[in-house]
Amino acid sequence: MDLVTVKGLSKRYGGIVALSEATFSARAGEVHALLGENGAGKSTFIQILSGAVQHDGGSILVDGQDYRPAHPDAAQALGIAAVFQELSLIPDLSVEQNIWFRHEPRTWLGTVNRTEMRRKTLTLLNKYNFPALRPDQELRRLTLAERQIVEIAKGLAKDPRILILDEATSALPAREAEWLLKLTRQLAGEGRLVIFISHRMAEVRAIADRLTIFRNGSTVAAHEANAVSDDKIVTQMIGRHLDRLYPERIATATDRIALKVKNFSSGSRLSGVDFALREGEVLGVGGLQGHGQRELFQALFGATRASGTIELWGKPASIGNPRQALTGKDGIALVPEDRRGQGLLLTKSVRENLTLSVIKRFTENGLLSRQKEAALVKEMVDFLRIKAGTPEQLAGTLSGGNQQKVIFGKMLLTEARVLLLYDPTRGVDVGTKGEIFQLMRDLAAKGYAILFHSSDMPELVHVADRVLVMRNGRIAATLEGDHISEEEILRAAMLETRAA
Amino acid sequence: MSAEHPTEMAQRPAETKPTKPAIDWRGRLLDRAPFLVACLMLALIVGIYGSLQSGVFTLDEINLDTAAAMTLMLAATGQTIVLLRGGIDLSIGGMISLGTVIAATRFTDDPSTTALWTLVILVLGFLIGALNGLLISLLKLQPFLVTLATWSVLNGVAMIILPTDGGSIPGWWVGFASAQFIGLTSPVWMLLALIVFWWWFRATRIGITIQASGSNEKSAFLSGVSITRVNVVTYGLSGLFAAGAALFLVTQTGAGSPTIGKDYILPSVAAAVIGGVSLFGGRGHLAGTLIGAFVLTLIGNLVFVLHVSSYWQPVASGVILLLSVLASSVAEKAARNRVQ
Amino acid sequence: MSAFLVRNRLIVLAYAGMVVLLLVTALFSPGFLSVSNMRSTVVLAAFVGIVALGQTFVIIGGGIDLSVPWVLNSAAIVMALLCSGQDLPLVWVMPLLLAAGAFIGLINGIGVAQFGVPPIIMTLATNVILQGLILVLTGGSPTPSAPALIQFLSVGRIGGFPVIALIWLALTLVATLLLSKAAFGRHLYALGTSATVAEFSGVPTARTTILTYVISGLTAAFAGMLLTGYSGQAYLGMGDAYLFTSIAAVAIGGASILGGSGHYLGTVAGAMVLTILTGLLPALNLSSGALLIVYGAVILLTVSIGSETFAGLGGKLRRKEG
Repeated sequence: MDLVTVKGLSKRYGGIVALSEATFSARAGEVHALLGENGAGKSTFIQILSGAVQHDGGSILVDGQDYRPAHPDAAQALGIAAVFQELSLIPDLSVEQNIWFRHEPRTWLGTVNRTEMRRKTLTLLNKYNFPALRPDQELRRLTLAERQIVEIAKGLAKDPRILILDEATSALPAREAEWLLKLTRQLAGEGRLVIFISHRMAEVRAIADRLTIFRNGSTVAAHEANAVSDDKIVTQMIGRHLDRLYPERIATATDRIALKVKNFSSGSRLSGVDFALREGEVLGVGGLQGHGQRELFQALFGATRASGTIELWGKPASIGNPRQALTGKDGIALVPEDRRGQGLLLTKSVRENLTLSVIKRFTENGLLSRQKEAALVKEMVDFLRIKAGTPEQLAGTLSGGNQQKVIFGKMLLTEARVLLLYDPTRGVDVGTKGEIFQLMRDLAAKGYAILFHSSDMPELVHVADRVLVMRNGRIAATLEGDHISEEEILRAAMLETRAA
Repeated sequence: MSAEHPTEMAQRPAETKPTKPAIDWRGRLLDRAPFLVACLMLALIVGIYGSLQSGVFTLDEINLDTAAAMTLMLAATGQTIVLLRGGIDLSIGGMISLGTVIAATRFTDDPSTTALWTLVILVLGFLIGALNGLLISLLKLQPFLVTLATWSVLNGVAMIILPTDGGSIPGWWVGFASAQFIGLTSPVWMLLALIVFWWWFRATRIGITIQASGSNEKSAFLSGVSITRVNVVTYGLSGLFAAGAALFLVTQTGAGSPTIGKDYILPSVAAAVIGGVSLFGGRGHLAGTLIGAFVLTLIGNLVFVLHVSSYWQPVASGVILLLSVLASSVAEKAARNRVQ
Repeated sequence: MSAFLVRNRLIVLAYAGMVVLLLVTALFSPGFLSVSNMRSTVVLAAFVGIVALGQTFVIIGGGIDLSVPWVLNSAAIVMALLCSGQDLPLVWVMPLLLAAGAFIGLINGIGVAQFGVPPIIMTLATNVILQGLILVLTGGSPTPSAPALIQFLSVGRIGGFPVIALIWLALTLVATLLLSKAAFGRHLYALGTSATVAEFSGVPTARTTILTYVISGLTAAFAGMLLTGYSGQAYLGMGDAYLFTSIAAVAIGGASILGGSGHYLGTVAGAMVLTILTGLLPALNLSSGALLIVYGAVILLTVSIGSETFAGLGGKLRRKEG
């Protein structure tokens, strides 16, 4: 008997269809994986299941009963808990306060019973073999990985029949990810249903009993895990052949050095890197997450303090803040990873966003020229094929891919020829991903120098001309030509340092 | 094995405990830096005051000073709850004025009438505060503007009831402030009651939820908190304490005033900030606020004893406020640099 | 044209509200729409408008200036003291005090931008410190009357138009240019929307923030001197009412208190609305207490409208990706 049955589920946001005619069924005691690209509808689906969002049409049956929670509390009361990627933790509370938030054991005075709470915390952490966590530690002191683990504990504290894990391993290091995978099997063994979203085939293979594949807002297939091949899964996820995603790699690098970096350090994570980026080159930066990649990009752009030397096009450059980075043709531009927090003004128009960094370019005698501005906007909208009704449309209403294009456009207008792209295809639909990769190659052919980081290794392998592998804040290896492969990157990233 | 796994945790050997020290003393110290700075300031002020004036370290002095500070303390208690929530309540100015005005025109020597009107004032305070909370939540408006508007409305109502300072407060009500029990006057007992209240309140679910909502409203919402309910309770309590402040204030002034409330709005925020309550929400303790209130009140005594013009008092308050904020800002930056 | 109206609908609404209010007042108070009455209304509104000019810039940038009462008052008092009723000293006194106002703004701005002091606290502190310093300076005793020249600027007319209205008009033009037609305006709107994004886009965030407070200090000081001319005297506490009214004018004019949106043209309507209300109530035989109640209600009403129109947008923006 199925624990959960979903039929014809649909949800729209204004004019955008997030889900249509989704179907799903899963049993108790099962680990069920949800697969699909970003934007395929998985997140909306689990938001509906967890009560965070209400569906428009279709039906959900839990235990044969109609299920339509008005609020996550209602869902939790019925035994359904979710652990989202967007953490719901409170920075100023302690680990155990977070785990039991709103469900704290109480004394007769109405106050929290601290001893009981500690006992329950330790029982929970021990029962499921949690990695080391100190219950009394303030959450804001924890790393992202530790917070993810607390979020998982928080979900388990509710003793759910159905636990939803949304890309819970993405923030976890190898050992803890293993632990989590074992945990899902333990939970399934206890008779619970675990719904598990992941991009990682290896993980899905390790734990899933069944899987459901989402594409373009709908469910396209459901399989027993051991009855379907990886290729079939990928094809059903993407809907087209993988190869066409990446553009042909043409050698466009010249001998001219665009960016030379020596002994570059920043904070505790970037410990001294040396490298040179050539004109016309797409230089990839890889390695395991958290080894200084983000710090490198932010520091090169001047967003954080750094020491060491930078030379742009042969001339020494001193970049203390982004304003000093964006100096025109000899400048350096960054497309940051955090679209909403660092890249775009969501409540402002596409036009205002595009032209924000280059106001000088359409100023005449101290006053702004609407016509010149419109010309610049048109140039970028056409070049990048930004899909917006009019340039006055608010940036917040665009899709992720188009938002990314606006940020690209903003940086391209500065005419800086050294581009730093940090995870430019994250949260971007497959179609736009392809466009972005082609754009990178086109720009390189025009003489741009691109430093490019992706958390997705295949992207690095297929797009970059060379790859710098970072480990512990330094460059562990530089891979070229045939040496660029996932295995080589991994090996350099994880083993002891080889000659760079 | 996939390459995307970060290694922040993998660097720790699996079989031993985390390499961080058992108790992060430096971290804890830095966290409490603003509070400690406030304690230091208070000690300094009391020290200077005590060296220049005799009879400072006596029970009498404590009684007097607590009475002088109590109105601000009550107002600041409500404000502390609001600040913890990450908001601000400007309407307490209006509520305090309104409270004094109702008391001055309705209190009589008859205890039951006075008791009734006391109840009315307190309930009114809570309800208006709750209304603030509702407006903020349901209309999705900023606390600054909503409470600015309600302040104006309350102020106006106070002026209509009693256009100029006046009215009368029964003598026995005024006498409440000097009534003693075991050598300590009622304000001192009220102070102790406030501390007990806070200790209890912060350990309740609603207290934790209010703090959580101020710490990260989004996370609280995702955790299923009803933000509307939290706002109603938060601002309702603030209004309640403002009403309490008014009721105490009239024991000091013996009259009602439609304009007196505005003198307590910004000082209530200042007292909290001096005491280490964060303007961004999620952090702070009443102990700090109470110390801040003492600091602000005692500056007046100090100025008097130093024989300088009383006009230096606002200057000193402003400077102390700035120093305190700079101290917290430095401490916060240091704390942030240690994490991640 | 209609697109323009839609985009600036809050400002349009503010002006519509103003017109409605004028007509309503005219109904209850037949002489209200007379030339002389409209003239004095505009003059009174000008003072609010000038103080609110600086406040507008600060609020759009995401801050708030609580120091206007005593910057205003300080400039008024020091001017009266230095001029002792003579016109000639104004030549150097006026620029000096404007510079002093700008300097206070600079201090506020540096505190906020460089030291990270929350605007409420920084400007509150400077307000209170200035208050103390001026009180110490004057010892609470009255100051000499205002020079005749300043009185002329505040009360006098050129060709039938009040001089101060012309000043206000000129300032409105300057503010509009700065906000709509200058790089500073774009930087300011970006900064007020998201300081982080502005920083990452190369906007000079610290400089922009500091400038807004400098402007606010300037306008508050200027208003203080003009107000002294208007009432003939500088007195203690003359700036207090302008804190509430400057913020209210900005809010009624459609600006978001969080920053990133709004325009001085809206503030102008806001200043007019507040001033007309002050004239309406005596006509309705209501007391000053009632005026305060109406002020509060008007603010609530106007910000609710502004918020509702954004509520739908907020819903769209809150949609998560994927």
